[in-house]
Amino acid sequence: MREISINVNGRTRKRQIKDNELLLDFLRDRVEIRSVKAACWRGECGLCTVKLGDALVKSCLVLAVEADGKEVKTVEGITPEGGLAPIQKAFVEHGAAQCGFCTPAWILATNELLSANPHPSDAELVEATSGLICRCGTYNQIREAVAEVSGARHVSRAKEKFAQV
Amino acid sequence: MSFGSPYVTLPDFTYHKPKTIEETLGLLKEHGDEAKLMGGGVGLIAFMKERLMSPTHVIDVKDVSELRQVKNTPGKGIKIGAAVTLTELLEKYDLNGYSVLREAIGRIADPMIRRRATLAGNLCEAIPWVDTPPALIALDAEVEIAGPEGERSAPVSSFIRGPVDIDLAPNEMVTSVRLPEVKGRVSAFEKFTGGSEFSLASVAVSITGGGKRREARVVYGSVNSTPIRSSEVEDILDQGLSPASARKAAEVASQKVECLDDVLATAAYRKHLLRVITMKVLGRMIEA
Repeated sequence: MREISINVNGRTRKRQIKDNELLLDFLRDRVEIRSVKAACWRGECGLCTVKLGDALVKSCLVLAVEADGKEVKTVEGITPEGGLAPIQKAFVEHGAAQCGFCTPAWILATNELLSANPHPSDAELVEATSGLICRCGTYNQIREAVAEVSGARHVSRAKEKFAQV
Repeated sequence: MSFGSPYVTLPDFTYHKPKTIEETLGLLKEHGDEAKLMGGGVGLIAFMKERLMSPTHVIDVKDVSELRQVKNTPGKGIKIGAAVTLTELLEKYDLNGYSVLREAIGRIADPMIRRRATLAGNLCEAIPWVDTPPALIALDAEVEIAGPEGERSAPVSSFIRGPVDIDLAPNEMVTSVRLPEVKGRVSAFEKFTGGSEFSLASVAVSITGGGKRREARVVYGSVNSTPIRSSEVEDILDQGLSPASARKAAEVASQKVECLDDVLATAAYRKHLLRVITMKVLGRMIEA
């Protein structure tokens, strides 16, 4: 066992860990942040995505000890106090979350993309999120949500449908 | 709960984070057979989960500053430190003379994996469907290795001896990958994944010189247990690159290159893919 300290969403978290623990284990089990999902465990689906330092990583392929002394952000860390970030609002409006299991990862990834590139093309969106899988298949709604935030003139069928309900 | 069940936890090991090559070699000397070096970890961590590897010591080389450098010497070539990530390589360095490598890296896995993975890691894994080894072989790349007896180097083509089998002793480590610069070289990469993450077939082509001195390298990946050069296809391209020779090369590739039957694809399907990707890559090179 060794003690490590990771700044998670602005709070320093000190925990005793074993060297073979994953960052994913640290976040879910030691710090109890359950928005970070454990699904494929092998870096394919991306639902354990977090921001480590200045880059998104798949936390099932990172050792907890590697993050010692670093900053980690999960979806909670980009959510404003008492409200939602623009991309989160757009996800709600466009029905971009069906079962919601993958949503935290997609919010992180699309938020990251939009802050680096406020007007991403479809191709850029696909490339930036190519490491994520939505098992419900809401890719089109996610695209519309991103288009809304980026200010693209985009006819959103999902949003109209939602308005009628 | 993620603790306790096999395949999601890692075997027990002690983690080391050396700062210098010397320190790393010292750790390897001490723990050699029981140790694994870790760059980005994307391969090693997955292997450990599957218990294909159960090292009792993991040596993380990310903080070894000598391994984080890229040295580009115009006229000579580029030397890429073993801990440089694929993303760093793409974003910070000019790979213009090495387009086959740039294209191969750009299509590996996804941006999150590329931010962690390294070229040296790709080579040391020696997994048949990784895309960078064929590109490196097409560029005549060499692996630089440090060990207790000093330094040595090996061409990538002989460094990879077989699937998950490399020419590296337990007390040695890869320090960098060196790509020679060749004036006027053109190169390109193509692959087919069928929508999965794994390449079912890939091809790396580089052509140097002109006229009688024209020399082509054509390397196929993901179709057999190691990347394979096809001298038959190279002979055709040595004569010149035209729509007619491209068609002939694609035909010969699908006839002569040995393909494996496995869970990802049948040999017959791979042979078909070889024809398609050879046509595609050469077509792009003719247009350029």
